[in-house]
Amino acid sequence: VSSALEARREQSLGTCWYLYGVVPASSAPDERFDWPSVTATGQVDVLGEGTLAAVVTPAPAVDFDQPGLDAHLQDAAWLESKIRAHEQVLERVLAHSSVLPFRFCTIYRSEESVRGFLRERRAELEAALGQLAGRVELGVKAFADRKRLAHRLGSGVQDEGLGEGESGGRAYLERRLAEQRSADDLERVALELVEAWHEELMAHAAAGTFLRLQTPEASGRPDDMLMNAAYLVEANDRGFIDAVAALRGEYEALGIVFELTGPWPPYNFVPDEAGTG
Amino acid sequence: MNQPDRPLQHEVTLLELVDRVLNKGVVLSGDITLSVAGVDLVYVGLRLLLASAGTVERLQDSDETRLLAPAASSR
Repeated sequence: VSSALEARREQSLGTCWYLYGVVPASSAPDERFDWPSVTATGQVDVLGEGTLAAVVTPAPAVDFDQPGLDAHLQDAAWLESKIRAHEQVLERVLAHSSVLPFRFCTIYRSEESVRGFLRERRAELEAALGQLAGRVELGVKAFADRKRLAHRLGSGVQDEGLGEGESGGRAYLERRLAEQRSADDLERVALELVEAWHEELMAHAAAGTFLRLQTPEASGRPDDMLMNAAYLVEANDRGFIDAVAALRGEYEALGIVFELTGPWPPYNFVPDEAGTG
Repeated sequence: MNQPDRPLQHEVTLLELVDRVLNKGVVLSGDITLSVAGVDLVYVGLRLLLASAGTVERLQDSDETRLLAPAASSR
């Protein structure tokens, strides 16, 4: 009864709790940090509940509950600052602890509601954290200029099978077909390369997953993205980073560039169902 | 916990972040969470900053009626 009353009181005070992630209580950061957060005050609290702890910020409900939140979702500057704050808090936590990252804008209407969630879902949360213990997410992207790659691979067959004097519709069609075959060949070769790289990297990872490819505008690189993947790796094992370095050396001559990002909170390796229901 | 050295880029692109914090991570646990429509709205809100053809395609694929639903869902 008292918790329900308190929840109502907190709601009337206009505060809600923004949840960044859940950590094991044993490695949780000290309570209350003045980190950059999703609010102007910058306060980040750690709410311990048994074996688990929630990393939260008490935030004005006017910003994070409806209808205020809906309005903010259309404000690019607001969104960017909050998305970056969400990530920065989790990265700071990750430096000290395993962390189960939650999705942007996971909000509770009272502290008791957060605590209740930790109690009710303890088994699932502990299991998910167990999978992530001592591990971080690393991102690997591979880029190549496809034309250069085709040239280096010797699969540019546009000029094959066409006699000097041939012209007209058939020659055009044959050239188109040849080009098509060339593009298909290149695509197949690229897929085979990506599979080989993935296999190589998985030898040093607990898990791995492919992410959607980004366009040059989105990636900020002129070359085509051949691979975009995320891996769950032991935080203090250099094997994975060395494997990426080896790929760099091996494929440099083909004009293929590998980009490594992270360590990320393991967003891509939380169980789909954790915390649902 | 020891971290690997950060050989890694510091200035993370916004898209990289958005794809992770909006599409991945534990979902549906809060009293308030972003609905799928809400996530689409965020991509729309950030479209000038993201300028991603892939994102635009994704939005075109999405159901228009869904886009009209309230952005955040609560329970």
